Amino acid sequence: MGAQLEIQLIAAVVAIACAIPGVFLVLRKMSLISDAISHSILPGIVIGFLITHDLNSPLLILLATITGVITVVLVEAIQKTGLVKEDTAIGLVFPALFSIGVILIAKNANDVHLDVDAVLLGELAFAPFDRLLIAGADVGPKSLWVMGSILLVAIGLLFAFFKELKVSTFDAGLSSALGFSPVVMHYGLMSISSVTVVGAFDAVGAVLVVALMIAPAASAYLLTSDLKKMLVLSVIFGVSSAVAGYWMAHILDASISGSMTTILGLVFLMVYLFAPSKGIIAVMYRQRQQRTEVSLLTFLLHLNNHTEESERHINHLNEHINWQRVRSRTVLELAQKNNMISIADNIVTLTKKGKEFTELALEYIVTNKDEKIEPMKDDFFLFRG
Amino acid sequence: MELSEYFTLVFTDYTLRTITLGTAILGAICGMLGSFAVLRKQSLLGDAISHAALPGIALAFLITGTKDTNLLLIGALVSGLIGTFWIRGMITKTHLKSDTALGLILSLFFGFGMLLLTFIQKQPNANQAGLDKYLFGQAATLVQKDVTLMAIVTGVCLVIVLLFWKEFKILLFDADYTKTLGFNTRFIDVLITFFIVLAIVLGLQTVGVVLMSAMLLAPAAAARQWTNKLSIMLILAALFGAFAGVFGTAISASENNLSTGPVIVLVAAVFVLVSFVFSPQRGILFKQIRFWKNRRDLQLQKTLQFMFDIVRDHPDISHPHAIKILNNFQGYTKGTLKKMEEKNWVQVKGVQWSLTQEGYHAAENLYKQ
Repeated sequence: MGAQLEIQLIAAVVAIACAIPGVFLVLRKMSLISDAISHSILPGIVIGFLITHDLNSPLLILLATITGVITVVLVEAIQKTGLVKEDTAIGLVFPALFSIGVILIAKNANDVHLDVDAVLLGELAFAPFDRLLIAGADVGPKSLWVMGSILLVAIGLLFAFFKELKVSTFDAGLSSALGFSPVVMHYGLMSISSVTVVGAFDAVGAVLVVALMIAPAASAYLLTSDLKKMLVLSVIFGVSSAVAGYWMAHILDASISGSMTTILGLVFLMVYLFAPSKGIIAVMYRQRQQRTEVSLLTFLLHLNNHTEESERHINHLNEHINWQRVRSRTVLELAQKNNMISIADNIVTLTKKGKEFTELALEYIVTNKDEKIEPMKDDFFLFRG
Repeated sequence: MELSEYFTLVFTDYTLRTITLGTAILGAICGMLGSFAVLRKQSLLGDAISHAALPGIALAFLITGTKDTNLLLIGALVSGLIGTFWIRGMITKTHLKSDTALGLILSLFFGFGMLLLTFIQKQPNANQAGLDKYLFGQAATLVQKDVTLMAIVTGVCLVIVLLFWKEFKILLFDADYTKTLGFNTRFIDVLITFFIVLAIVLGLQTVGVVLMSAMLLAPAAAARQWTNKLSIMLILAALFGAFAGVFGTAISASENNLSTGPVIVLVAAVFVLVSFVFSPQRGILFKQIRFWKNRRDLQLQKTLQFMFDIVRDHPDISHPHAIKILNNFQGYTKGTLKKMEEKNWVQVKGVQWSLTQEGYHAAENLYKQ
């Protein structure tokens, strides 16, 4: 297997392994925990490295994972005192732990061939040089085996506990009522996230692990509301960005992890702009529609309130409701298109349909009851939610 | 170098004085603005923005080709602001939550910045070395000019805070009310966010991207424990920040191989820890002591009530009873009996106790409040 292919394979495996816990972190509003863990495992890694002198040793991964879980426990402990909010607790814990790590590295600079840059940024290009030898035979890059095993465990756990995870994510109360402890699920997920971050950090670095966890999941979340689809989509986003990122780095001769993140960023930007119903363009369009229709309603109510002709003259309306010209024209046209008003000699009159509609709407506004608008929903955008 | 030696050197040595002054000013401005961030529940905004500033630094270098600190900081400021407003856009326009938005901006901008930095490193421009000091910060690279800039920004910031004091304050605690009063909340909001971003960008050179968030948070979180008043909190936070800067610099200067940024953060973390434990109002220690005291009082009252029930039917309330009969009662210990004697509620003679007039009244009024 060529080095290029191996790098892409490692990148893809890391991407999948990150995407799976990432989905749950995003859904549980705990995305920033991944950021905290990815930084605070540093002291664990340094201590592990001082003992084993091997970045891929199981002991190091274990120690670093424990540090990750300790971070979560610390954050929760601080939060429980009620002295500060959760986000402040996160923001206090991880820089402190990270600082300890940095100082540990600096103090043992002669012993440790470990660079803060390397931990923070990682270097995927070197991953194929660290081979795993079993009985003298070369079976592939070590980090591929490490990440592969982590991924297998994560997938196994995902299939085994899918419904428990789902319930505890969306309804912690129901989950404990049904007998699945949300606490166990929480710490299980945290442990898996820690292991993944630890396994991935020397390939892609601590900060970019966060990107690989959150960005695919967030992109997928804008496209679907189905957990299974979201998982599949985020895996697809993760893997394709990883591979595309590799080639971009190849062309630009720049950092692989940086390119992967940039591609992830572009993918997210595209989804953010163009996602069918939750994308920013769709949202803005919908908001404008709704604004127009609220204006229409205001306009119809005004007509309904005033029988005298002077109040219903087009020019007067322009002034009275105080809209800009363009807006009032849109509203007028919309009303006319829907046969709600008729215009004769610049005097606007409600048609029968318009009158009925206005009265229904008025009733809804006064009573604020949903059943009043049920029959109207079909022909009026505004009430469709 | 010993610590004492450091303090004499601060006044004579140019480099040390510059660095100490720089970190002190930085700590002060971060503490002041960090208080707003903490109270607005935007604690992690600092983390996101400091990471988001990286591509700005790289791009500013790519475009201008010079390593002028001020230009790079302007780049950082612009990209930090873009990050901030994108975060806000995401939270208001889509159903992504603030944690996801922060995490996204943080990691995506940082990744893009890394891409640019590695790209720059491959360029045949000898000038590029040292850009990565913004990653971890190097207080040692501070020169007089940087400190002057920091001082000016801090001054401007102080004036703005004083000028818009009531607007900032009211927006912090009741945004809706502010709107109904006719203030331009958007403007105030943008103003305060702008200064937070500015403070973060200023700190990048000293403490670096990763640790910047702690600079912003820790002094404010510590100050919050000592007071419920905004003005005092701000002053305290600025003081804590400045002290963390000075002590951090002192410790790191007095030992080999200690980078300044992490030490400052750890000093600030110690401040937070001390405040969490020892603050008289909210601190864990005093809370626990109050809790114990309340529990002891309750036990005392329960015992008194029990005695009262025994005594009530007697014609003579001070008739002595055996201590033994109290043994069946849970709240009773030798300690409580002694306490009650001190309070003059009971009199103990040998193995017998008797309720005093005072104790009888106390018991009578116990549940009548």
